[in-house]
Amino acid sequence: MWNSLLGIFHPAASTSALIWRLILAVAFSIALLVLLHRFLGPRGRRWLIAFVTFAGGLYLGLEYFLPVRGSVLWPTGMPNPNPDRAANILTPGIEPIGIMLSVVGAFTVGLGIYSLCQVHGRNVAQRRPGWHNSGAFFLAMSAMLVFGLWAHYLPDQDAPGGRLPWQESTYELLFGGIFMPLQAATFSLLAFYIASAAYRAFRIHTAEAALMMAAAFIVMLAQVPVGQWLTHGLPTTGPLAFFRLETLGDWIMSWLNTPAQRGIVFGVAVGGLAMSLRIWLSLERGTFFSEQG
Amino acid sequence: MAGSHATFWQRIQQIPRYYIYLLLAAVVTWQILFPIALPILPSRVTQGVYDAIAAVPDDQLIIISTDWDASTQAETGPQTEAIIHACFQNGKRFAVMNLQPPMGVKLANDIAQRVAAEYGAEYGVDWCNWGYKYGFDNVLIALAKNIPKTIGDDFHGNPVTDLPMMEGVENIESVGLVIEITGLANVTELWIGLIQGVYGTPLAGAYTAVMVPSYYPFLDSGQLRGVLNGAKGAAEMEVLVKRPDRASAIMPVQSWAHMLIIALIIIGNLGYIFGRRRTTERPS
Amino acid sequence: MSLESATLWAAAIVTLGVYTILYRENPISRIFEHIFVGLSAGYLIVFIWAQNLEGKWWKPMVHEGKWYWIFAPIVGLLFYFIYSRRLLWMARLVMGLFFGTASGYFFRQFFPIFSPQIYGCFKPLRADASIGWGDVILHNWLFVIILLTVLSYFFFAVPHEGRFGRNLGRSALLGRWFLMIAFGAMFAYTAMARISLFIGRVQFLLNDWLGSLIPWFAQRGT
Repeated sequence: MWNSLLGIFHPAASTSALIWRLILAVAFSIALLVLLHRFLGPRGRRWLIAFVTFAGGLYLGLEYFLPVRGSVLWPTGMPNPNPDRAANILTPGIEPIGIMLSVVGAFTVGLGIYSLCQVHGRNVAQRRPGWHNSGAFFLAMSAMLVFGLWAHYLPDQDAPGGRLPWQESTYELLFGGIFMPLQAATFSLLAFYIASAAYRAFRIHTAEAALMMAAAFIVMLAQVPVGQWLTHGLPTTGPLAFFRLETLGDWIMSWLNTPAQRGIVFGVAVGGLAMSLRIWLSLERGTFFSEQG
Repeated sequence: MAGSHATFWQRIQQIPRYYIYLLLAAVVTWQILFPIALPILPSRVTQGVYDAIAAVPDDQLIIISTDWDASTQAETGPQTEAIIHACFQNGKRFAVMNLQPPMGVKLANDIAQRVAAEYGAEYGVDWCNWGYKYGFDNVLIALAKNIPKTIGDDFHGNPVTDLPMMEGVENIESVGLVIEITGLANVTELWIGLIQGVYGTPLAGAYTAVMVPSYYPFLDSGQLRGVLNGAKGAAEMEVLVKRPDRASAIMPVQSWAHMLIIALIIIGNLGYIFGRRRTTERPS
Repeated sequence: MSLESATLWAAAIVTLGVYTILYRENPISRIFEHIFVGLSAGYLIVFIWAQNLEGKWWKPMVHEGKWYWIFAPIVGLLFYFIYSRRLLWMARLVMGLFFGTASGYFFRQFFPIFSPQIYGCFKPLRADASIGWGDVILHNWLFVIILLTVLSYFFFAVPHEGRFGRNLGRSALLGRWFLMIAFGAMFAYTAMARISLFIGRVQFLLNDWLGSLIPWFAQRGT
């Protein structure tokens, strides 16, 4: 009985069988969703969402914390399909679930794209000020989409004279000539802003600011050859070697910065655990959580 | 007299931003065109990455996770190149892959192809590219159990099982080292939490400099074998693999840019201190 | 014009176009901003398809007959009900699944990430054959003192009054000083990172782009 039920999940043998199963699966899913929507009240929906949230967290947590055995799956004694890797009853599901979630998550990419298209589409349709910028957005997106996919589906073959097919050349030009330098140049603007901010905002108002500045100067100098050159006259061994800028910089990073950062890491650990527990148990309230159902 | 001094110290606090921008651009251009080259000394943390690569057993491969894009390419690009040199020089097989911005896997592919040609290394035998895999935790957790199934197709869309170097590669036990190259926080924590901490697979990092201080606790605890610190780490790695390139060229420029920033902070503070003193000395 | 030189020229124009914003907001930088967003969106779709969905979803479903993969887009498409007031709860259902699994992943990762961080705090505080007093004081004692004072800074459960509270307050103040040193180091690293990015672009403009026109530039700085 169980085996014949599982038999449904065997791959379809022919194209027509595949198409039928796909149609039936879609119909079944739609029917299930319609039924859920019709017969579950707000309370039932809230419980269903809380249950799914709890079950997702429970499965992944339990799989990790339950004991494992080599040849059998703990605690059932069923044979382990992969005896080299210690496992429990939940382990075999981890890999397919991981792949399934990554595929399901990939479909969310359209959400962001839809949102962008909505904003820019409105700009173009209503001829708002700067609408031609939104037009450029659509042009750029379509060009990358068309040539990216076109280049992807071109058969791998060495064109005569090492020249790329024109579709691939266009894609390379869009990627290497426009997309990549746009991103690199945009982020490199930060160098100007940090130089300006350092000059304007880094003031010794207090003793703490002075400490911060002293550490910043030493580490900045220790990072670069010219800073290391400033103290290159000091011996490389003995007590004075400690004052060579590269050694002093490494000491600050390893013995002053590390414990301070670790304090922050512990804060993150406790905060992250508390947050995860609240979400897992549907105790969290806020924009998303308070209106569940 | 006192008034003119006060004006000077106040003026010194109000240098227009254009002058600061121009100064920075001038210093960088000057040092790129006429560099004052000084020796680059490999640091302890860079040596850690190199040693971790050299220590990988021959029957295991290295995963180079290139989670970077053009926004940090000046730092992460040379890091990737120097690490690939180190792999080829030590005769280690490696697979490039990508969990975050999909751009990195293509940029890293271009770098790997170029470097592989220098060593006469063959795709699929000495190195391969597993491509971009969407799903972070889900990918890593599945990867640990079954590499060929999780990866599926390589960067070029061919099944990874067709690649000769993937023969016998089943799960994370076939991996001797993971090197995470990234400008993004939290990807390393995934590798630690789902791979290094669970299966003991050694892990090393190559980060943009801005991220490095937060990863020192992981170096201290031994969870990271070593870290490349931005362009400086890349330059040090270039020294270790004896291939001075872009990162080594960045360091003299970086030196004088740092000097400029320090000078700007000092000037701003002198103006602040003396300007304030003048103001408080003046009768109200 | 070859692909290489077209790419070089395009990249140089784009880079200089973006830098015009340093003067002030202008139509050139605006249009480049929008092109950047458009290219990113297009590139993301191509890559999600080519590197993920095609191999892990489409091929198994269509070429290998694994029909049950059809459930993946059905579940994934529930996210899109976020735009419908009536069916929003279905989007919340699938989001709940992802939130729940994210919590589960955090539970899994908690010990592998944080337990070595805790062990790492237990450092020898006495000299022995392997470590001298100099190192013990300059490294280990300092480490433990900084860690405890920084943790006391983040400890808000006890008010800083009374005998214990006042001492906690002093420790917290010391912790704040140590945090400032760490922030100073972080500033130094941040400055370094940002400047590297700009140097990378100037290297491109001088060595690669101008270097392709005047070989003298190509030889500088490498």
